[in-house]
Amino acid sequence: MSGPAAKGARRYAGERVHRVEDARLLTGHGTFVDDVSLPGMLHACFVRSPFARAAIRGIDASAALALPGVRFVFTAADLNPGVHEQWHTSIGPKMPETPRPPLAEGEARFAGDPVALVVAESRYLAEDAVERVAVDYDPLPAVVDYAQAEHAEALVHQSHGSNLIGRFAGLPASALDDVFDSAAHVVSEAIHQQACAPVPLEGRGLVVDYSRSTGDLTIWSATQTPHEVRLFCSRLLGMPEHRIRVVTRDTGGGFGQKVMVQRDEMCLMLAAPKVGVPVKWVEDRRENLLAAGKSRQEHAEVKLAFDADGAIQAAYIDFVQDCGAYPTPWPLGPAVSVGMLFPGPYRVPRAGFSVATVYTNTVGRMPYRGPWQFESLSREVLLDIAARQMDMDPMELRRRNLLRRDELPYANPNGMTYDNVSPLETFEQALEMLDYEGFRAEQAEARRAGRYLGVGLSNYVEPSTPGQGYYATEAATIRIEPSGRVNVYVAGGSSGNSIETTVVQLAADALGVKIEDVNTIQGDTAVTGFGAGSAGSRSASMTAGAVRETARVLRDRILAIAAHQLEVGIEDVELADSRASVRGRPELGVSLADLANRAYFNTRKLPPGVPAGLEASARYTTETQTIWVNATHLCTCEVDVTTGRVQLLRYIVSEDCGPMINPNVVEGQIAGGTVQGIGGALYEHLAYDEDGNPIATTFMDYLLPTSTEVPTIEYGHIETPSPGPGGYKGVGEGGAIGAPPAVVNAVADALSPFGVKPTRLPLSPARIVALLGGDG
Amino acid sequence: MPEVSVKLSVNGQARQATVEPRVTLADFLREECRLTGTHLGCEHGVCGACTVLVDGAAVRSCLVFAVQVAGCEITTVEGMASPDGRLSAVQQAFRACHGLQCGFCTPGFIVTVTAFLRDHPNPTDLEIREALSGNLCRCTGYQGIFEAVRQAARAGRAARPGERGETGETGEAR
Amino acid sequence: MKPAPFEYHAPASAAEAASLLAELGDGAKVLAGGQSLIPMLALRLAIFDHLVDIGRIAELKGIERRDGGLWVGSCTTDAAVEASAEVSAAVPLLARATPFVGHFQIRSRGTLGGSIAHADPAAEYPAVALALDARMEVVSARGRRTIAAADFFDGLWTTSMAPDEILCGVWFPTWGGRSGFAVEEFARRHGDFAIAGATVAVELDGEDRIRRCAIGLIGLGSTPERATAAEAELAGRPLAEVEAEEVGRLAMAGLAAVPGDLHGSAGYRRRVGAAMAARAWTAAAAEARRA
Repeated sequence: MSGPAAKGARRYAGERVHRVEDARLLTGHGTFVDDVSLPGMLHACFVRSPFARAAIRGIDASAALALPGVRFVFTAADLNPGVHEQWHTSIGPKMPETPRPPLAEGEARFAGDPVALVVAESRYLAEDAVERVAVDYDPLPAVVDYAQAEHAEALVHQSHGSNLIGRFAGLPASALDDVFDSAAHVVSEAIHQQACAPVPLEGRGLVVDYSRSTGDLTIWSATQTPHEVRLFCSRLLGMPEHRIRVVTRDTGGGFGQKVMVQRDEMCLMLAAPKVGVPVKWVEDRRENLLAAGKSRQEHAEVKLAFDADGAIQAAYIDFVQDCGAYPTPWPLGPAVSVGMLFPGPYRVPRAGFSVATVYTNTVGRMPYRGPWQFESLSREVLLDIAARQMDMDPMELRRRNLLRRDELPYANPNGMTYDNVSPLETFEQALEMLDYEGFRAEQAEARRAGRYLGVGLSNYVEPSTPGQGYYATEAATIRIEPSGRVNVYVAGGSSGNSIETTVVQLAADALGVKIEDVNTIQGDTAVTGFGAGSAGSRSASMTAGAVRETARVLRDRILAIAAHQLEVGIEDVELADSRASVRGRPELGVSLADLANRAYFNTRKLPPGVPAGLEASARYTTETQTIWVNATHLCTCEVDVTTGRVQLLRYIVSEDCGPMINPNVVEGQIAGGTVQGIGGALYEHLAYDEDGNPIATTFMDYLLPTSTEVPTIEYGHIETPSPGPGGYKGVGEGGAIGAPPAVVNAVADALSPFGVKPTRLPLSPARIVALLGGDG
Repeated sequence: MPEVSVKLSVNGQARQATVEPRVTLADFLREECRLTGTHLGCEHGVCGACTVLVDGAAVRSCLVFAVQVAGCEITTVEGMASPDGRLSAVQQAFRACHGLQCGFCTPGFIVTVTAFLRDHPNPTDLEIREALSGNLCRCTGYQGIFEAVRQAARAGRAARPGERGETGETGEAR
Repeated sequence: MKPAPFEYHAPASAAEAASLLAELGDGAKVLAGGQSLIPMLALRLAIFDHLVDIGRIAELKGIERRDGGLWVGSCTTDAAVEASAEVSAAVPLLARATPFVGHFQIRSRGTLGGSIAHADPAAEYPAVALALDARMEVVSARGRRTIAAADFFDGLWTTSMAPDEILCGVWFPTWGGRSGFAVEEFARRHGDFAIAGATVAVELDGEDRIRRCAIGLIGLGSTPERATAAEAELAGRPLAEVEAEEVGRLAMAGLAAVPGDLHGSAGYRRRVGAAMAARAWTAAAAEARRA
């Protein structure tokens, strides 16, 4: 894909290259949003509703403004009229959307809803001022239980007329009655997943600097999508894009929570022109858990029909998702994915689904790594339950139903066509890595000694690299400097996914240069071409495509200039280690620095038809709508039936992410997602009480896994190339998809002597004890 | 409320600022000393991103007021590499083992691990995991971090040959 | 999450601290390690006009054998307790509880006295102090006095110290004879506050009968709890006749205010508490038998 390489040339793709990001990050010299300090900068803090739902009768900011150092207190009346247009590019202006007043207007709709914005000389003073803003709230009955929301009397958004955001169905359940009524085995369960949050270690934040003299706006943003922030802001303020610059240097994690501009950030953008000096807002952890958005809160009735041999005949899911008060974006699309993907990597002749999304008076739903992953959770948990019901080994049940390579491309019954995946192969590899039979023997012996070990598995197939709308292209600019060093400019949006390093690897390969001669500049909209950012596990494939397209232009030029200089045919020139040389005569060559010098400063010596300079830009368009990825997660655990404690023993991820640009990066992405999935299965819960008051607003109650809760993860790699550049696939989200069901199934397997069915997450120790019949 | 003059030493350099007593050591380092490597991940003492050394002891700087440690020697992540820019053994190990992704939690881990290995140069795997359990990471799943600590411990033992049980290992990156 | 403003005072002696507290009245709070207080200030769950920092007062630090026991200055850090050979030798229960106290970074600053004065029922040191009948030495502008552990813990985060009193030190008795000690606790994650736990000390006579035992309970009330009824029932019995499970059951009987929250109901805590008491008993008894 990168043209003929010289024999013995160093290839960086596929290697565990050490990261270029690390030098600054290891020494505390990263630049995260809170590290940005500008002359005269002020600090913002929000007044937030303590009530799940309340009418706002009035706001008195006089006591706050009387504090020395407090400069502004903005309310809805000050900021909201400044909105020209607000919509997210991936959704478009015509889709129905939840009304999103930047500051709550007349009604607070969740505990944490931003009601006023204080701007002061320090964050300390701003927080003091927030306490002195007197808001007259009139509490109203809140809609909290999402399962009842559709029929609740109170309305979260009166203008919507209903708490049902939308409903969508594939094949209706009735169309499958014949199959389910006559099947040899039918299994059905209600499966519940709790509210979780992405919880990046760095919260959301931005510094907005509006220059009154020039009308230019500069935003430093903790974001995964710098160009989208710019686009959104330009529409919001009615400002042309070229007057807005968004810079994101280092972002401390995102996992979907920093993909879309939210109301808090809108407020800062709207306030900046009124403040006239730079304003910084960085949310603290309490705000992040309170107001940055939730995910995963949903449940479904799921059912599968099997023939007498355990072959799946039909699948159906009736799914309901809690979207809070201000979901971002319009949630029906992602919810429909759950229905569409429910059949998973299995041979499923017929399937149907129904999805419903509802509003509640809680924080709004946001994307989180693998937003549709409930389909894998519910399907894989149900498959294990089915296996036990049919008295079959759960692995054998999988083996009978997993898709084989010769069945691909396979159109699942909802119209999604998978290709370039290897579900059966990753499955068998996982079992082999564990020594499945050996584990079953170990389990039996442990049971005789009164100890409960279990093994659980999940298989999934995942759509990566979306090819629709603004995700479908990615651009790069490559400048080979007069010195021969290479600068690669891409849109970026890394919040930890190492695309600085992978871009440098790819460019070094594509141009035949030494990796230490390559540098990348990302995350600055003034400098890079438009890119949709890091979302949808798109960065590897799309960036590879952008680099390939752009490097191709320069490579052709370099070869032509070198051939001309060396007086050989182009086909006889090789590029390696920043040097062009004659094939078979390595001593005859010219450095890239010399070629660059000629291209910039000695243009009369260029071959006819070759333009001066060594700079090029190109935009790559993906040819696929989806690049499919698959994996199998397999874990073992021990459950202490007295305390309910789950200890994970071994954790195996057997995956097919295609060729790897950097195996360290691949494994790191898998590990991070897996541990988030473990957190969701066992520890994390963004809980609310029945009045809609959030309970888990600090890290004392929202429990992230630490190093002692997490086993060593073992990786097995299978490589089925995608049709995309390099054969690369996306790998960012899979861990969070495969882990929860593998863990739940391991616990269920450990407790199978007790006949319990864990179907409600999280499987906290107390919940496990309750399942066992004790007090939970 | 009256401000107080706080004098302390940071990475070997004398620093002084007049601040409100409520200013945490973390904010003093970030705002007054302009050392932004120490990060705020929770400000209530759970995530460990703010870990620094106070007179050599690893401490959560969000749970200390600057005024409480007047006169003390503070070491931050910016003081871990040598003056000529060479990464410490711990920093090198993190790089070699892909022990960081977004880098936000990393300064806290570097300081924690530096203090831990200094006091426990021969840790078991369980001791390592327990020592790391006071620092949260959301990106790495702790895999690369755990390997980095093992590698840094090996490198430390290799640098002190003849110690019980460990000779001849070079502690090179994998 | 920044604390509200306060005035800061750093007295040089316990006497000076005491008179300062008396002068400043209600709006003042003692600051030692700050590992419990500062999060509350950051979350603005608590607001004080004055903080009186006693953390650097030399006379409040130290570990010394005294009067057949061990005196630990209130501002001695948990880390110093952890590292102390004297503590390991004289009050093993304290040494065994310390690794459960948060994480080592917390222990660098947190103090033994701070933990006891903060009186969190889910903390380890209050339960150890209660189990061993420790004595708390307090000072105020009105003089010094000693409070027995049994009279010290009044309610949730509340002690019987007067608002103007400062904890100076805690004296722990040393158990002689054939003694064994163990702490077992169950938390969601390593280093978290206990859901339930037990601190057990047991002494056997020459014939392996239980001469005496002490069982302190963590996380099972609004204060640390002492399983006095269980202790009375077990005293004098041959060790071999006592099943660990029975100890667990006995220890849970009579608990009137077991808490329930997001992490577990009262019933669940009792179940776990019984298991922790049983496991601690097993370990402590085994050590005593070997002695």
